[in-house]
Amino acid sequence: MLHLLTIDLKKLLRYRTFWVVCGLYFFTLAFITASGMEFLKWLAGLFNNFGSSLNIDRIPLYHFPDVWQNLTFISGFFKIVLAIMVVISITNEFSYRTIRQNIIDGMSRWEFLQSKILTNLLLSLMSVIMIFVIAFITGLIYSPEINWDYILTDLEFFPAYFLEIFTYLSFALMLGILIQRSGLTIILLLLSRIIEAPIDAYVGNHYSWGIVEFFPLQSISNLIAMPFARYAFQEIQDYVSWKAVMIVVVWMVLFNYFSYLKLKKSDI
Amino acid sequence: MLGPNGSGKTTTLGMLMGVVNATAGEFSWFGEEPTHDTRKKIGAVLEHPIFYPYLSGQKNLELNAMIKKCSEKNIPNVLELVELLDRKDDKYKTYSLGMKQRLAIASALLNDPEVLILDEPTNGLDPMGIAEIRDLTKKIAARGKTIILASHLLDEVQKICTHFAVLKKGNLIHYGPVDEVGNGKEIVEVNADVENLQEILSGFQGIERVDAGNSFCEVTLQQGFHSKDINKFLFDKGITANHILTRKKSLEKMFLEILSESH
Repeated sequence: MLHLLTIDLKKLLRYRTFWVVCGLYFFTLAFITASGMEFLKWLAGLFNNFGSSLNIDRIPLYHFPDVWQNLTFISGFFKIVLAIMVVISITNEFSYRTIRQNIIDGMSRWEFLQSKILTNLLLSLMSVIMIFVIAFITGLIYSPEINWDYILTDLEFFPAYFLEIFTYLSFALMLGILIQRSGLTIILLLLSRIIEAPIDAYVGNHYSWGIVEFFPLQSISNLIAMPFARYAFQEIQDYVSWKAVMIVVVWMVLFNYFSYLKLKKSDI
Repeated sequence: MLGPNGSGKTTTLGMLMGVVNATAGEFSWFGEEPTHDTRKKIGAVLEHPIFYPYLSGQKNLELNAMIKKCSEKNIPNVLELVELLDRKDDKYKTYSLGMKQRLAIASALLNDPEVLILDEPTNGLDPMGIAEIRDLTKKIAARGKTIILASHLLDEVQKICTHFAVLKKGNLIHYGPVDEVGNGKEIVEVNADVENLQEILSGFQGIERVDAGNSFCEVTLQQGFHSKDINKFLFDKGITANHILTRKKSLEKMFLEILSESH
């Protein structure tokens, strides 16, 4: 297993695009998630201009345990950058035809796919660790009191976030293997949520919103609900639902299985 | 392995190397059921050299060694053999076509394979590059490796190979040792300072056909007759030939014959 991962990493670690994209991803992720207070100050300034006031100390953006859901939710938006890197990595193998040589040299098709999936796992894990560290540090800074009960509450958002990233990267890998061209795959990846949304709405309006939560991209967004409405005293889903997890796990397995089927059947 | 373009040479090799799924039939390597681990014992370059363009020659070979699960110790040796040692740290994309082909051969040799598959290794090379690859192939063959060569350069094949197979439209239409190419009817070039040479030669009993060429007559003899018989025949007629050359049938000629017979 580790052997297969090192093979894929050896391909990537000397590839400048990989460093640029991953660097931008982790930098932006850190920058955005750590600058929430600045956003609140800007918001407060806006309120002031209109003669009302917003007490930002009353919005516990970075307080334990709110910080866990807040940051994992926001970070979910950036997974597209990582997904594009995954697409570049897999479509390069097709355009350079190196996948063909890898197999001629003695890799099985399943081993080749495994090496890509393992990299996806690693990238997902790194995202989780990074967000955990940022959330933990900002939590320590901004929480009025450090209470271990609060810190240990709601940690399930991290496995959920991990599942969200990994499933989305599996989706990107599958698209790359099915389409094999980087430009087209990236466009489809960018459009996929926008394409799914009206279908969701149609099915929801005409049939049942109960079906919509089974749709692939909708199910991924359902893992971590939007938390911010709670600061306007609205009810939010401040937990990870098992049903959503099960649906996403099934999609995650299916995405990787489709990749496997396609690789197995095609002439490379 | 010979055959016109599109006859299925690369496809056949691709099936043997697991990149093309066979629709029917089966094969074995070393008497075993083929698996991806069997492929590690074979060094193969199909069509074009394939490497990661942004990696150096050295790094590409290190990656190949990882995939083949063999030691990296061999890398300097194979680079030395293909004379790329001084360019090993340059990126693959900066290599010339000849260097790319040579790197591909180096990577195929990395694992000290029992069988080496070279598919048109001289495709697109200049005469110097072709000569380099030819020398390299001979060097490798001299080490006792089995080489499966798909090529269009028929006189190279005739010089290097022991057996040949001809494919056409995906079917095997001929298989045999290269030695047999020379057997069969002898063709002799004859010239002499007489006007009606063709007519005179037609009177020889062992003749099958006489074609007049630019500077000589091309005589195809019946089975059992040789150039010395023609020489004697002419001499008895009082004619002295100033050019007699026995032409061995070339693989090229045989190849074209096999193809045209196979309609």
